[in-house]
Amino acid sequence: MATTAEHFQGHAEDHGHDHDHKPAFFARWFMSTNHKDIGTMYLIFAIFAGVIGGAVSGIMRLELAEPGIQYLGFFSQLVGDDPSNFNATLHMWNVLITAHGLIMVFFMVMPAIIGGFGNWFVPLMIGAPDMAFPRMNNVSFWLTVAGFCSLMFSAFVPGGTGMGAGTGWTVYAPLSTSGSPGPAVDFGIFALHLAGAGSIMGAINFITTIFNMRAPGMTMHKMPLFVWSVLVTAFLLLLSLPVLAAAITMLLTDRNFGTTFFDASGGGDPVLYQHLFWFFGHPEVYIMILPGFGIISQIISTFSKKPVFGYLGMAYAMVAIGVVGFIVWAHHMYATGLSVNTKMYFTAATMVIAVPTGIKIFSWIATMWGGSIEFKSPMVWAIGFIFLFTVGGVTGVVLANGGVDDVLHDTYYVVAHFHYVLSLGAVTALFAGFYYWFPKMSGKMHSELLAHLHFWVFFVGVNMIFFPMHFLGLQGMPRRYPDYAEAFAYWNHFATVGYMIMAASMGIWFVNIIYAFAAGRKAEDNYWGEGATTLEWTLSSPPPYHQFETLPVIEETAHH
Amino acid sequence: MTQASSAVERARQSNRKVALVALSMALGMLGLGYASVPLYRIFCQVTGYGGTTKRVDEAQAASIKDSGRTMSVRFDANTARNMPWEFKPLQVKDTVSIGVRDMALFWARNDSDKTVTGTASFNVEPEQAAKYFNKIQCFCFTEQTLQPGEEVRMPVLYYIDPAILDDPDNKDVEEITLSYTFHLTSVGDAKTLDQNSTGG
Amino acid sequence: MKSGTNASAVSQSVKALGISLASVLAVAATPAFAQDAASAPAAAATEAVAGSYTPMKPTPGVGMPVPEGIGLQDQYSKLGEYGAWIHNGVLLPIITVICLLVLALLIIVVLRYNRRANPVASKTSHNTLIEVIWTLVPVLILIGIAVPSIDLIAKQYKPAPKGALTIKVTGNQWFWTYGYPDNGDFEVVSNMLNPVTGPTINNGIRKVGSEPWDGPSHLEVDNRMVVPAGEPIRLQITASDVIHSFAVPSLWFKLDAVPGRINEKVLMIDKPGVYYGQCSELCGAKHGYMPIAVEALPRDKYNAWVMTHPGAKVDNPNAPAGSETDYLPGEEPAGAAPAADASAAPAAVEAE
Repeated sequence: MATTAEHFQGHAEDHGHDHDHKPAFFARWFMSTNHKDIGTMYLIFAIFAGVIGGAVSGIMRLELAEPGIQYLGFFSQLVGDDPSNFNATLHMWNVLITAHGLIMVFFMVMPAIIGGFGNWFVPLMIGAPDMAFPRMNNVSFWLTVAGFCSLMFSAFVPGGTGMGAGTGWTVYAPLSTSGSPGPAVDFGIFALHLAGAGSIMGAINFITTIFNMRAPGMTMHKMPLFVWSVLVTAFLLLLSLPVLAAAITMLLTDRNFGTTFFDASGGGDPVLYQHLFWFFGHPEVYIMILPGFGIISQIISTFSKKPVFGYLGMAYAMVAIGVVGFIVWAHHMYATGLSVNTKMYFTAATMVIAVPTGIKIFSWIATMWGGSIEFKSPMVWAIGFIFLFTVGGVTGVVLANGGVDDVLHDTYYVVAHFHYVLSLGAVTALFAGFYYWFPKMSGKMHSELLAHLHFWVFFVGVNMIFFPMHFLGLQGMPRRYPDYAEAFAYWNHFATVGYMIMAASMGIWFVNIIYAFAAGRKAEDNYWGEGATTLEWTLSSPPPYHQFETLPVIEETAHH
Repeated sequence: MTQASSAVERARQSNRKVALVALSMALGMLGLGYASVPLYRIFCQVTGYGGTTKRVDEAQAASIKDSGRTMSVRFDANTARNMPWEFKPLQVKDTVSIGVRDMALFWARNDSDKTVTGTASFNVEPEQAAKYFNKIQCFCFTEQTLQPGEEVRMPVLYYIDPAILDDPDNKDVEEITLSYTFHLTSVGDAKTLDQNSTGG
Repeated sequence: MKSGTNASAVSQSVKALGISLASVLAVAATPAFAQDAASAPAAAATEAVAGSYTPMKPTPGVGMPVPEGIGLQDQYSKLGEYGAWIHNGVLLPIITVICLLVLALLIIVVLRYNRRANPVASKTSHNTLIEVIWTLVPVLILIGIAVPSIDLIAKQYKPAPKGALTIKVTGNQWFWTYGYPDNGDFEVVSNMLNPVTGPTINNGIRKVGSEPWDGPSHLEVDNRMVVPAGEPIRLQITASDVIHSFAVPSLWFKLDAVPGRINEKVLMIDKPGVYYGQCSELCGAKHGYMPIAVEALPRDKYNAWVMTHPGAKVDNPNAPAGSETDYLPGEEPAGAAPAADASAAPAAVEAE
């Protein structure tokens, strides 16, 4: 990825802006305080982590292609397990699901959507010269990288039954405490601490930047919706991550120092860990999707050449989703033996979230309604997002019902649901944002043809992977199983074929990136034309190393 | 120039203020995360959430009145996997008068060749009945130590609060189960310190 | 492969209860079976009392997933039928309509408001009426869903009636044990049957006596959880190590087994049959290999099955099962002395 760095440098030198002098390579990329450089590093890191997390899911789909255990032994050998130890081989499966979940959540989606696009475009969109705390921004990034290293390292040290942490990304006690001796889970927990600390710093940085560093005239109610989405997300991070930090620290002391916070033998309750985890975990899913909502709003508005329909409703719908997101956590715990009243409450509260989410879906459609839509690649991805997110959203309404969850909880139906909202929702939004802003960030146009092709192949692939998972879940196939009954074979095989198609679409994407850097034409300042009205389009592509040294003034008529 | 730099300084101070407020919110949530452990325990004890029974002293127990109604109480005993004890109730179930103190006996034997200290966690099902289940005396209040091969009968002195009869949530409840699980606390010499464990 | 782990983990209870895997297998449908069992070294066949049991053959497609299936498994409990109706009759149509509505709107937008069809974009960005409508209509739909949904939850939590049979389910790494406190407190250890083609996953045995014992792959077990059909059963669920989850999709049943506490829920199976389920909470390496097989029998056959266990007893099926013993209130605990009796024959703890 050095090409990216050289490119930015080279491009800026061509311009020869006097004020645009940049530090030398090491100082620029390792001690960076520039929001755009840090954003770029986050994006590159997220792509790297995403490739690893995606490869892990490839191993999983490979193993699941047929009933029986075929490939796990080989992969468990790679991390140092004894191939004759069948339990260690099976443990490898749990390491894979744990790694896939943690990598995709903490080291792919969050760094890309908040660290990458958030860092790049929040300051640009509000007319700020940089983030409020540039050095803290750099610390955030490197903490995330350190966390990732800790997680990778955990795969190669003993985790109980075999090498690596096999607790699932939820790290439930007592499987993660008395059930997993060995240092692997400690390193996994440490990875979460580091990434969590980085994210909390990032959240503080975004909140301060958005509250304090808006250009004159950029009132809260004029902020682009992407900025709103990052603001709400930052608050969710700020309020939920510390609870996770407390919970996993208690896990750590339960594991190593004889405390019994979650251990019934000392008066603790393992179910309390689940309450704490999901008090963080539910807002976490909105942390992953809200910035995606913001990106989609920008794109739909741009290519419809219309302002966002119901701007205030859209902004406050996100605030509402964020607030309600904190009071629905136990819908992840319907099977733990909740009391009847608790279960009824969480059923009702959870369904409430469908209302603001529906407002968003309908407002996006209404934004397009009456527009003059250009189907550039970001728009195609955005329309795909709306549909896929709707499918993921409605299955969420099904799962919200505590009584129905009794048959669907911890089955592939849940896997299908959260991949529709995250893998097909958040990731689709990421690609939409990528094609929307890539030329702005790099100064080079990607191939629209390849971007469209990428979308269609990806769309077919992911739907083939995840749609049949609804069937598997309804039929009762539990999650986190490396092996399954004969009856589940057909749709599992189908999903594995879908994975291969999806993987091919990633190939198209990488070709497109290489194409852009090698042969892409130079991007204009505002390459999407009249519909693109936010402040980043007033700058060159890529923007100067230091932008808005004279703050822009937003007039009454300027808008979101 | 000085004007400009004082503006920068003001902005910096203002940033710091916002960041400090945000940081204190984060620290507050961190504290809340830790505080949740005792808060959850208190919440369970007060509301009976999670099937937590009430603990009462003799004075409170003395004020209770016989309701003239009866209810079935079932007893259940478990051991954690690493606990080398045999542990079971000496009666599967019992019909008790609501509002009258009753006693149940449990039996345990240390099957290992070491002195073993254990603690019992407990809960009541159905959960909504837990807050009416009052224990006056219970082996689960303290740690229990058994010598190798030692057997012991352990009493639970309890009563069911007649208020259960007025609770609509409990109108269909025909039988309450009191369940215990013995966990390994330590192997070797008993600790002299008896701690009051309240369990899960 | 440590195939002995499972057995040793529960060896104390198994030993004390005077039963073993083999004794459960000693269930004698025919004299030939009984002889086979008696010749097995571990079998306590001489203690086997008048009882008989032949494992029921599962019906393909009943109580198990069907190949290429795309919907819920057929339900064999009243609550399951109700739940399946809520899913198939209420939720599925609603979510399908919503998805199709969104899809249709997207298609209309794409066709009518593309640049060629509509060169000049309108500037409309507000319409209070439509915003109120798309807020209120979903609210009404959700209320419509909530009514049966909340009702289902209420029904699921209805406590067991007087005298309901209680069965104790314990999750272990990585097998289930089923206790029958109302039938003399014997315990059944249930391991998955090893796949015919290997590998050896646990000590699940593929034979009953000399008869081959088979069932759907990954779902069949050596000793099933046998229950009476057509009556409410109080299931009490716990775990001895980490959290497991007892789940049977065709009975609309799922409840976590949490170490240190019991969870309780009523199960009522409409008709005799074998119903399969699988552990549904990640519990370590062999999480995928601890299935659940529930065999529901008519009361008389259930009683006969019960009586194949040493120390087992059966009450009048119409009366509350289980023994009752009253201690006088205030009685002092009597030290350890009488406990010797209890330890001698603890299989049936009837302190009368």
